[in-house]
Amino acid sequence: MLNYAFRRLLSTIPVLWIAITACFFVLRLAPGGPFDGERPLPEAIKQNLAAHYNLDKSLFEQYIIYLGNLLQGDLGPSFINQDFSVAEQLLVGLPYTLIIGGVAFFLSIVLGITAGILGSVYRNRFPDYLIGMVVLSGLVLPNFLVAPVLQLFFGLKLEWLPVGGWGGGAVSHIVLPVVVLALPHVARISRLTRGAMIEVMHSNFIRTARSKGLGSASIVWRHALKPTLTPVVSYLGPAASYLLTGSLVVETIFGLPGIGRYFINAALNRDYGMVLGTVVFYMILIVVLNLIVDILYAWLDPRVRSR
Amino acid sequence: MMQNVDDRVLDIRNLHVRFQTNDGTVEAVRGVDAQVSAGECLGVVGESGSGKSQTFLAAMGLLASNATVTGRVQFQGQNLLDLSVRELNRIRGSRISMIFQDPLTALTPHLRIGAQMREVLQTHQHISDRDAQQRCLQWLENVRIPEAAHRLKQYPHELSGGMRQRVMIAMAMLCEPELLIADEPTTALDVTIQAEILDLMDELRRDHGTAVVLITHDMGVVARMCDRVQVMRHGEYVEQGSCEEVFYGAQHDYTKMLLDSVPRIYVAPEQIVTADKSEADEVAPLRQGAQPVSPASPASPASPASPASPASPASPASPANDQSVSTTGSSNPAETILRVRDLRVTFPVHSGWFARKRTLRAVDGIGFDLAAGETLGIVGESGSGKSTLARAILQLIEPTDGQVNWQGKELTVLGRRELQKFRQNAQIVFQDPLASLNPSMTVGDSMAEPLKIFEPGLDRQARTRRVASMMERVGLPYTLINRYPHELSGGQNQRVGIARAMMSRPQLLICDEAVSALDVSIQAQILALLKDLQQEFGLSLIFISHDLSVVWEVSSRILVMYLGSVVELASRDDLFARPQHPYTRQLVSAVPVPDPKVERARSRIKLQGELASPMDAGARLRFLPSRRAQLPTDHVPLLSERFPNHFVAEHDPLESLLQPQGAE
Repeated sequence: MLNYAFRRLLSTIPVLWIAITACFFVLRLAPGGPFDGERPLPEAIKQNLAAHYNLDKSLFEQYIIYLGNLLQGDLGPSFINQDFSVAEQLLVGLPYTLIIGGVAFFLSIVLGITAGILGSVYRNRFPDYLIGMVVLSGLVLPNFLVAPVLQLFFGLKLEWLPVGGWGGGAVSHIVLPVVVLALPHVARISRLTRGAMIEVMHSNFIRTARSKGLGSASIVWRHALKPTLTPVVSYLGPAASYLLTGSLVVETIFGLPGIGRYFINAALNRDYGMVLGTVVFYMILIVVLNLIVDILYAWLDPRVRSR
Repeated sequence: MMQNVDDRVLDIRNLHVRFQTNDGTVEAVRGVDAQVSAGECLGVVGESGSGKSQTFLAAMGLLASNATVTGRVQFQGQNLLDLSVRELNRIRGSRISMIFQDPLTALTPHLRIGAQMREVLQTHQHISDRDAQQRCLQWLENVRIPEAAHRLKQYPHELSGGMRQRVMIAMAMLCEPELLIADEPTTALDVTIQAEILDLMDELRRDHGTAVVLITHDMGVVARMCDRVQVMRHGEYVEQGSCEEVFYGAQHDYTKMLLDSVPRIYVAPEQIVTADKSEADEVAPLRQGAQPVSPASPASPASPASPASPASPASPASPANDQSVSTTGSSNPAETILRVRDLRVTFPVHSGWFARKRTLRAVDGIGFDLAAGETLGIVGESGSGKSTLARAILQLIEPTDGQVNWQGKELTVLGRRELQKFRQNAQIVFQDPLASLNPSMTVGDSMAEPLKIFEPGLDRQARTRRVASMMERVGLPYTLINRYPHELSGGQNQRVGIARAMMSRPQLLICDEAVSALDVSIQAQILALLKDLQQEFGLSLIFISHDLSVVWEVSSRILVMYLGSVVELASRDDLFARPQHPYTRQLVSAVPVPDPKVERARSRIKLQGELASPMDAGARLRFLPSRRAQLPTDHVPLLSERFPNHFVAEHDPLESLLQPQGAE
């Protein structure tokens, strides 16, 4: 098991390297740069700036310098917001994004799995149909539509919840963004759980368990749950990345000071350092989450470990 | 056999099972009666879809929720069909237990063997963990699992198929039930493992007085195990009676047909005498090139049915470590269409990023000749490399080393275009007929495809005509031409597979387990079809199977494979009359004979150890333990011609390889 985890950890290194390299060069392919404004800067200042940020060196040299810094944990300077480094800016926004994303992630798992198991137990009966309807709406409605509707209804009409802002992290401020963020994932996870549970309950080893005289609780918890969770867990990796990218939109709609805002601003300003830093940070986060998923996977299914 | 009513463990009366499906109600079981007494073994025989499993799953309350069960299932004074799930759970696994066909999927993959066994005891007997552990250990030893304590900590996928089925049996026996229901318990296993599992079940029945219901399609297994037999078709019993009555005096046509469909290995009594005599020659392992003293047997041991007449003189064996010997059955070299020499296929096996790369030697220096119009049977158990050999011959996978010579042309060096020409002449039929046809193409299109490739000049109408005539030839109604594979039965799909392979009028047809997935009656029809086609088109056949009796039915010569190399190669009748190699003798003795008197009278040869893994190079020396010390571990036992055209790999005498007394 440890051996497996270690092997998986090592395999993430080339993945990260390829992704970082691709991002670095693709970003530079786009025309323009951070210092091309409406009003052209004097040539001398431009050259000084370029020299300061190593932009006068060849692209390959810049790439090597960037990689070198990255290995030491340095995400580099921001080209626009010169008072702060990329890492410092990210650290400012990070807690907000992590709280919203983490709560939504946790909520999706708990609600999704519960709804899925209920759906499979009450298969093709009223509770299953009800869950199915909620799930369907969660899947088809985009978050930029759900968010304003919820803001209008709960914020402006009923006046139960604030329409936006962080509010010092009060629960009332978090509810709406978390719900908007989690809804599609609750839907997908519950669908996956329901389907997997129905399939597992028809498998041969469940028949064996029933022939052994085990009660239904023991069958579901001991024999059926782990194999049911296997497809769900494989979805959690992609789900985490959807949550992070989804948070860009949600943070903007609800006016939250997460890192999504920095990312969008940086992209608009062609702040190479900031965009790359955010992308690299997201990437590391996603790769680490996928690694956790892989390890969970091995825990669920002993056959994966020996592969 | 008269039954005492008091002895009856299970009494099923007028059982009906109906399934509600989208296509309406399906009546799977229609009024079945069955009784089993203590210590008795009841055989329930039938082909797929006969309702034999459904009957007993219904009795156990294990059917899917869309099933309705009516009738009476009397067990210890109560009707099982009236019980609530809670009451039923007190009986299931404790008083009645079941074992199933596929021991890999029947065990929960993520729970250790120990956990799965202990929960039975904890559910039914509420004993302490420690006592439970003790009982599990005891039962694993009772079913003869080595290193039992270690097995308890393993997961199902870490055990071999035979080992898993033993675990299933041990688990079913933990509470010493009155009734054991075994649903095709050995169908997924190799014959030698099957023989061991059947012996084990027989022993448990005798020692513990457990009543056994054995559900199977295999008449040989029934002949070996059962006291009484019930033959089922379309959800009803067509015949029942004692084992002898059914085997020797079958009344119903269906039973007769079932019995006739089973290929029987028949060896004339006088030939068996020869076999016994030849054992005297086995005192010492044969050296390469050693000429054994031929017993005073007729000059020609080959059967007249075999075109491989033993006229050619014994050829000298090839250089060291090359198993290939000139083993053509024919004296006329022009007749030989396929010549395989020292063929090797190895696969690198990566077990991790830093783990050492190992080599799996799937085919390890095989050589043989095939004459035009001949059928060569290739027998071996799972993992012996027989399918890999078939694919390497057809260049579907690239051989690592060796030669494959087709009518004087060396295939291993051919370019793509020339290889395609060869493929027109050499075709293959695979095991799973449904999975090997493209599900999105109609069967007609599948059959027409080879014509598009090999005879591009034909127009659509001409192709359809050719397909239609081939369909007629293989016994497929023309109306099926626009159907999809999933709409056809297994037998029909395999006919499509054969028709597709025959479209280009090949000279060589390789059948890779082509009938293994089919019911016996369908299997007999397909075998007959293959023989007809061979006659009509002068086909050469390579017939690969794990089933010795099927190979016996079609082959003129037989090659026995063990871990990628040849252990014995001889004409069919010679091989069965005087099998020489211990492995062949074990295989032959393990095949159940569908005749109760013969089956119960004979003894089986049991060799030491499990079937070894192809990953383990030293396993090849399993039959040469006396020389393990001198030989390199990757030594491939050499072939020598012990009788005319009867080749045997070097081995120790059988007696030294037998199981030591009392520790099977």
